[in-house]
Amino acid sequence: MSSCHGSAPAPTLDRSATTTMPDALRVLLVGGPNVGKSTLFNALTGARQHTTNAPGTTVELATGTWRTAGLSESDPATERSIVDLPGSYSLLARSSDEQVTADAVWELARSASEVAGQPGVVVAVLDATALARSLYLLAQVAQTGVPLVVALTMLDLAATATDSPTAGVEPATLAAALEASLGIPVVAVDSRSRADGGMRGLACAVDAVAARPRQVTGIATPEPPCSRGTTATVADVRITNGSTPNGPVSNGAVADIAQDLAHAETLFAWVEQVVEQVNASVATASDIEAHAASGRPLRRTFSDRVDTVLLNPWAGIPVFLAVVWLLFELTTKFAAPLQGLIGQLVNGPLASGVTSLLGLVGLADSWVQGLLVDGLLVGVGTVLTFLPVMAIMFAALGVLEDSGYLARAAFVADRAMRSLGLDGRALLPLIVGFGCNLPALAATRILPQARQRLLTGLLIPLTSCSARLTVYVLLASAFFPDHAGTVIFAMYLTSVMLVLGGGLVLRRTAFRDVRAEPLILVLPPYQRPHLRTLAMSVRLRVGSFVMRAGKIIVVTMCVVWLLMAVPVSGQHTVGDVPVADSLYSSVASGIAPVLAPAGFGNDHAAAALMTGFVAKEVVVGSFAQSYAVAKPADAAHAGSLGEQLRASFDDSSGGHGGAAALAFMVFVLAYTPCVAALAEQRRLFGWRPTASALVAQLATAWALAVMVFQVGSRL
Amino acid sequence: MYCRYMTLPESPLGAALRVTGVRLPASDAFRLNEMGIRLGTYAHVTQDAAFGGRVIAVAGSRYALDGRTAALIDVEPVTRLA
Repeated sequence: MSSCHGSAPAPTLDRSATTTMPDALRVLLVGGPNVGKSTLFNALTGARQHTTNAPGTTVELATGTWRTAGLSESDPATERSIVDLPGSYSLLARSSDEQVTADAVWELARSASEVAGQPGVVVAVLDATALARSLYLLAQVAQTGVPLVVALTMLDLAATATDSPTAGVEPATLAAALEASLGIPVVAVDSRSRADGGMRGLACAVDAVAARPRQVTGIATPEPPCSRGTTATVADVRITNGSTPNGPVSNGAVADIAQDLAHAETLFAWVEQVVEQVNASVATASDIEAHAASGRPLRRTFSDRVDTVLLNPWAGIPVFLAVVWLLFELTTKFAAPLQGLIGQLVNGPLASGVTSLLGLVGLADSWVQGLLVDGLLVGVGTVLTFLPVMAIMFAALGVLEDSGYLARAAFVADRAMRSLGLDGRALLPLIVGFGCNLPALAATRILPQARQRLLTGLLIPLTSCSARLTVYVLLASAFFPDHAGTVIFAMYLTSVMLVLGGGLVLRRTAFRDVRAEPLILVLPPYQRPHLRTLAMSVRLRVGSFVMRAGKIIVVTMCVVWLLMAVPVSGQHTVGDVPVADSLYSSVASGIAPVLAPAGFGNDHAAAALMTGFVAKEVVVGSFAQSYAVAKPADAAHAGSLGEQLRASFDDSSGGHGGAAALAFMVFVLAYTPCVAALAEQRRLFGWRPTASALVAQLATAWALAVMVFQVGSRL
Repeated sequence: MYCRYMTLPESPLGAALRVTGVRLPASDAFRLNEMGIRLGTYAHVTQDAAFGGRVIAVAGSRYALDGRTAALIDVEPVTRLA
């Protein structure tokens, strides 16, 4: 095993001894899905990490600083920039996520051939429980010619697995055997360990390889650029490998599957050779192939026994639904009190504090107070109230992912989502969307492919979140008091139909490339989630939400305040204007005629829909404010608000108030859920898809509402 | 040696098998190869799942295959050699 310091102590964060390198060594973490890559990344970077989208894609990358303290003058403190690339089985990419990984490796290879010195090192993360599969990817990476170090993970699971070829082998022995066979440094790492866990050894190996790269034994790499020219070198590798840096070969860019396979066969042969050498070297007695070849039954692992229940044809689906129900409850009922508490703190003591401070500087009751308290602080409060939901969702998903259940969920729900071309895991965020769209959008990260994440993310706003329920209850009770329950049920049914219909339409139009691929899924062994890693992951993702989506929410809230603060009629000053005389009301009046074909072309409905863009929870309050009546404590007993609604809807619909109310509910269901969801979509997918989705949602909502009213008013 | 060709969904739970054919589209079969399931690979069916899905054990790993994919993978039983 490679270690330049033997039993060196664990690295400590000695900032004074750390020198920030102007051109920090670039390290790429490459490995298959579920090999412990992200756990290793967290262990190496600690809190010094953030997420970002790969350029030009919606693929999320975690980047960070890997810092090791110096132990002596000859071993100075070092900083390296490190990127956790998406998990991939092969550099012959089949998805945009895998393409990002392939591109990053090729880019590093290109830099290595063009730039003097070493621009970076790839740390190939190998799963000790599945060496053959990991070695195939390693072989592909080695062929690009990038400097390579191997981090060997999952050693605890490999040691205890009853049917693993490396069962019972000491980590150091296995790493040494692999290093001898591969000819490059191999470091056994335990990212979950509170001690060093091999991190210092990995740092030393990376630095050593950066200074003096070594070739993987048995793998041909391109000739040095000095003899053949840099462009030619990379191009040759592409041809030899049958891949391109910019396009997945298997989808037809250079596609010649037979050539790929022929080339892959040589890699498979190399992999088998390495595995045989390692097995022979560590004298593994429980080789599974020998096990199978002898015809003996397989010894079942703990995970196999658990799977007899969780993947059972009859029990698997109920268990999956129970897990989704639990997520639903966690993000709604469990989070609600925490959200309420934060809301009270922001609107109470914090708002009072800011108001008092402004009073001290003579700005009490000024437009500045309005902007800061009713705009900025309301925006910040909105972001803060979403934090519990997001943290709970990220933690719950982390538990499901780390425990190994998420892969099972994909398998169990596969059939349900297949018609939409989606992975079974898509069912989970879609169901969570019926609680709140925001955590549901965040949950799309569990999907392995960017296009699937985007498609699911566009369907989630069509799931009827609980905030919309208050609007349904108000209108259904006011217009259909004897059938309110049926009407509300019909709205949820409509939501399901919209998701299915929307999915089918999108698959036949903008998402024709998303096809129902064969499900071939590696099921990781069940294991206990690691709390420290989980906490770091939640912190990272919540931080990303606050920094990227939070800004948009705050700005939008300030814009809404501005619309409400600017007077357009009457004698008012900025910040002190009744809603009816504000720019906001003026805009609503301008919108109202557009809504006339749907039967609710009145200022009240238009203003409520504008407010609903901010959050659906405030639609009822907006109606009450607009009609100048008290907001009902219970939406099911609308009282005078119900009378006002009936009067204005009857008036704007020519006496078909019921049909107009139904149309209004359908509009509320189909248009943008809230500004927070919009901001999250922007964070996850970028401006263009978000803006397109916004326009499509508004158009769909309008068309459906018009259809409902026109049909309903004629019945 | 007893030898009968069958597909994965037809294979008994727990039996030792060898992959003899993959009738998936070429690109999908290629990915299957890359993931470690190739002609001649030894496997065990460890779990039946809903809609014909199967979980197989290959070299210490567990692979979940949906029913349609499993039905396109031919295997033969491997019995104890004399």
